[in-house]
Amino acid sequence: MTGLLIKNFVRSKGLMTGLLLLFLSGLISLNVGKHFLEKNQQLIQQTAHFQQENIDRNVKYVNKEIGLLLYYVRFGLANHTPNLAGLSIGQRDINPAVLSVTIRNLEEQKYTTDLMNPMYQLIGNLDFSFVLIYFFPLIIIAFCFNLISEEKEEGTWSLVLSQAISPLKMLRLKLCIRYVSVLTVLLLLLVIAKFYLAIPVDNAFVAFGLTAILYISFWFSVSWLIVSFHRDSSYNALLLLIVWVMLTIVIPASVTTVIVYKYPVPEAFGTVLESRDGYHSKWDQPKEPTIQKFQKHYPQFNRYKHPEGKDYSWLWYYAMQQMGDDEAAVHATDLKTKLRKREAASSVIGLFVPTIHTQQICNHLSQSDMANHLNFIEEVEKFHEQKRLYFYPKIFTDFAIADENWKAFPLAYFQDKVSVNWSLVLIPVFSICVICVVWAGVNFRRPLERNARYE
Amino acid sequence: MRFSVLKILSRQVYRSTIKKRSTLWLIGIFNLMLGFAVVSGYQILTTQQQIVDKYSQQVRHRWEKSPDKHPHRMAHYGYVAFRQKFPLSFFDFGMNSYVGNAVFLEAHRQNTVNFSEASLSNGLLRFGEISAGLILQLLLPLVIFFWGFDLISAERENGTLRILLTQGISWPELIMGKCLGLFSVSLTIFVPVVVISLILLFSNGAIGDNWQSLGYFAILIVGYLVYLLIVSLLAVFVSAKSNTSKSALTKLIGFWLFFTLILPKISLVIGQNLYPSPSKVEFDTAVEHELLAQGDSHNPNDPHFKVLKDSLLQAYGVDSTHKLPFNYGGYVMREGERLSAETYKRHQAKLVAIYQKQQNVVRLTALCNPFMAIKNLSMALSGTDYATYHDFENQAEAYRYKLAQTMNELQIKLISNTTKGSSGKQAIINRKHWAEFPDFSHHFPAFILVFQQEKLAIFSLIIWISGLYFLVTLSSKHFKAF
Amino acid sequence: MSKLFIVNKYMLTAKNLTKKYGEHIALHNLNLTIEAGEIFALLGQNGAGKTTTINCFLGFVEPSSGQAIINDISVTQNTAETKKYLAYIPETVMLYGNLTGIENLEFFSQLAGFRYSKEELSGFLSKAGLQTTAHSQRVGGYSKGMRQKVGIAIAIAKKAKVLLLDEPTSGLDPKASNEFSEILKELSQQGTAILMATHDIFRAKEVAHRIGIMKQGHLVSVIDSRDISATELEQLYLQMV
Repeated sequence: MTGLLIKNFVRSKGLMTGLLLLFLSGLISLNVGKHFLEKNQQLIQQTAHFQQENIDRNVKYVNKEIGLLLYYVRFGLANHTPNLAGLSIGQRDINPAVLSVTIRNLEEQKYTTDLMNPMYQLIGNLDFSFVLIYFFPLIIIAFCFNLISEEKEEGTWSLVLSQAISPLKMLRLKLCIRYVSVLTVLLLLLVIAKFYLAIPVDNAFVAFGLTAILYISFWFSVSWLIVSFHRDSSYNALLLLIVWVMLTIVIPASVTTVIVYKYPVPEAFGTVLESRDGYHSKWDQPKEPTIQKFQKHYPQFNRYKHPEGKDYSWLWYYAMQQMGDDEAAVHATDLKTKLRKREAASSVIGLFVPTIHTQQICNHLSQSDMANHLNFIEEVEKFHEQKRLYFYPKIFTDFAIADENWKAFPLAYFQDKVSVNWSLVLIPVFSICVICVVWAGVNFRRPLERNARYE
Repeated sequence: MRFSVLKILSRQVYRSTIKKRSTLWLIGIFNLMLGFAVVSGYQILTTQQQIVDKYSQQVRHRWEKSPDKHPHRMAHYGYVAFRQKFPLSFFDFGMNSYVGNAVFLEAHRQNTVNFSEASLSNGLLRFGEISAGLILQLLLPLVIFFWGFDLISAERENGTLRILLTQGISWPELIMGKCLGLFSVSLTIFVPVVVISLILLFSNGAIGDNWQSLGYFAILIVGYLVYLLIVSLLAVFVSAKSNTSKSALTKLIGFWLFFTLILPKISLVIGQNLYPSPSKVEFDTAVEHELLAQGDSHNPNDPHFKVLKDSLLQAYGVDSTHKLPFNYGGYVMREGERLSAETYKRHQAKLVAIYQKQQNVVRLTALCNPFMAIKNLSMALSGTDYATYHDFENQAEAYRYKLAQTMNELQIKLISNTTKGSSGKQAIINRKHWAEFPDFSHHFPAFILVFQQEKLAIFSLIIWISGLYFLVTLSSKHFKAF
Repeated sequence: MSKLFIVNKYMLTAKNLTKKYGEHIALHNLNLTIEAGEIFALLGQNGAGKTTTINCFLGFVEPSSGQAIINDISVTQNTAETKKYLAYIPETVMLYGNLTGIENLEFFSQLAGFRYSKEELSGFLSKAGLQTTAHSQRVGGYSKGMRQKVGIAIAIAKKAKVLLLDEPTSGLDPKASNEFSEILKELSQQGTAILMATHDIFRAKEVAHRIGIMKQGHLVSVIDSRDISATELEQLYLQMV
């Protein structure tokens, strides 16, 4: 029976075209991912190259005072992009992959965005996670909406019922064939992605694959549930399409709007004003309090003094710069807290909405979510601090530029760690699948023969 | 085409559609969603306006309250410009969330416009935002297709079509009548949101400065009406052309997916590959290299500035810059600012040209995609498109340049040429000069610019509606009665 | 021994079989027995209760009261078991257009739990009168008569003891209709009990052993077909309904 059901399935042109289109759009998405990774790689190489060039040139021309030199010199930290991000670009196309900072105040530097065409952000990337979240369900719906009703509408159902010992078994087989065919396309795409994008097979990739499989299982469960109500084809199609529109457009878009409304971030503007005033106003104030505040922050630099009667010193200058960061610190922390709150709110909502959950897990696993960017920013803060602490004593003692090894500052990398929380990855969508299947089971307890609806 | 027949046919479609319980549900749900979308959009807008107003005032206050100081320090203290939202932006969010909101303006440097909503968002934003624009452009057509897919094919299937045609109704009358009926059903969703939006528009305090938004809204309404008419006509036309209702529905859903999801994404990929745009590192490095080649205003031995110095010394007949009757440092800085701003502008223009080319690939698809046409038109009229944003960038840069140069002028005029440093008594000027420098005010582009920007979209909507109309009236022989 | 014979003799039994749809009574206290090898034809207008009767035996409709019994097993209580004994041919046999005649037969036989070789399947189709050339063509291009023959082949392959037919010859041309009748007679000779709803009075007289006339859910008359000519049957029918 299985063989003949497969034959019948394979011979319907529409369904095969659907699978082929799905596969093709998957391939396009992999190409988009490849393009993204290459561009990213290129960007990092360029930055590494320009950074060395920038250091060499500045060392050559600004060769008198190390304090002045460090006004210009930029040190870059790159956010390592795992190749898995080619499958789920997420926030990676909005947030910069590299931040190059001087040791001056960080607040003015860390929110720098990359150049991008906003039209592209509006339309969104055609990455694999998009194909997974939007296109796979459509094909699944097209495969399943008339699982029973096509037999009724084509007239084969009564013969099936009069012949079959268990018509439900046949329906299950039909569903399985469709499931396996879609699963095959999915796995094939993942295998191609593994080699084409050179993705290492690690926990993250396995979890990514499982998330994808669970997501398509979810849509099969929903379709199975809808089919179990024994309505006609157009009713099923309408209902499934409504579910699709709700889950992929209306609910996530509303959630976004609600989150923006619920957690506005005026702190973002606050940081700009505070850091600007924190630094610039010090020019017009007596030098002593600024230096005192600086030395309170860094007691280890207590022994350095501003030269009496001098109009200017690098100690004073960098102390002023430091104040830019210190005075914006409250706002900056508030901003980060707000952003983490936004992230947390959407994760909680995601537990109940498979599309949101899947997108977030995909972004999390491929390190393209907001959490990764916030981690990166925190690393930039550490990196910046470490550079400061390294150079401050040298600046205050007017260390000879020629004595420093300027080759020792290549582009640095930040490698975020992804911890796979298996229960969070698997349980929410799995539970929804189980609910759908059990509900459908209850509907199917009523003998199929009784739902034949004749006369 | 007889008007009375159109009226009978469209009234029949309207009544039979509206009678269904599912229709009432859909209309109810859509009105709720639209109401939610415009009200929450309006609240987000007013919250943002308040935030922007509050911080703009703070910026101005701190600027004016700055103590007496050297003007060049004031130029570095700089200004922060915030992007205002157009009063209509609650209707269609467009690119609002993807473009920056605040930019720090200072001498010598062009900073990026930061804090776009997208950069403060998690990955959810890529699902889109629920705005009236999104619902009307994307979801309403789907519903119209559902109401309209069997308007003619069902009549063919149950045989009533032949009776209709034998009663002397022509094909164009039949299609137009059904289309108008379908269109009038869609108005039950469109009209309420227009009314609510108008009320919200009037209750916004910012409307006083932007009366043009009322005119924009009127054009926007016309645009959407044409769009809904196109969608209705398309639904009925496909229904008339298809053999079965099922194939009509499949075709229409196919159209919808292709136009709203697939085509925009594909055109984006094509645009990206045809016109690669530089990254920030590349862009900054290119600007930096060119500036280095031109000369460094901070380096007194730089060849460019040496020529400048020599010609000045000669013109004034002195042998040292200290003997010039004005502040030489300020003069050099003004020259440097001019050079760097021009260079930056040139590179920025090149970058924007690349973006425009990329966008034009997407924009061009509007010719065959009414969805893209209304999307672009709606964004432009709601003040949430790229042109409006770019206009803000230009205004901010112009203000920055003016600020830097005004400070340089003050230095040239008021600071003694022999003064060293920037904190001594002679090096500072009175703070009254700060208040004399006007505040930054972001104003919105005039309609003619919007029109020029979106003439392709307007053209495309006209082409679609007239094309479909001619198709219906001319190809009536090709329709099948059974 | 004789008792066992009597038990087996009645393949189809309706006991006070009643089906109500709300106020409307589709089938009213139907009592009917059909022996092995007997062909029983049900005549009556549309909506007289013929199809409801057949659907009760198929288990597609749950009787409001009374029982439909096949081979001494109640349909309501054990639909899966009674299904093993019966085969059903609807007014139009609809098949999977993407599969060939032989594949359709194979599929429906497998549903019923039978496995046959290609030769056996081909044999059934030939026995049902389907020309050999059509066996491996997709049924998308089959005429109604050809599909009806595949339906019979499905019944034969199932070795059904009971055959339920719902207006099987409507829409068939006279030749196809005649061939169909011949096959029914052959099956009856092999011991199959056949219940057939039909509008074709002449075909009923020719094929059936007994003829029942239904009106508004009642079985108003049962006639032995040997006792009556076709014209008399038509007269009777017109009086009755």
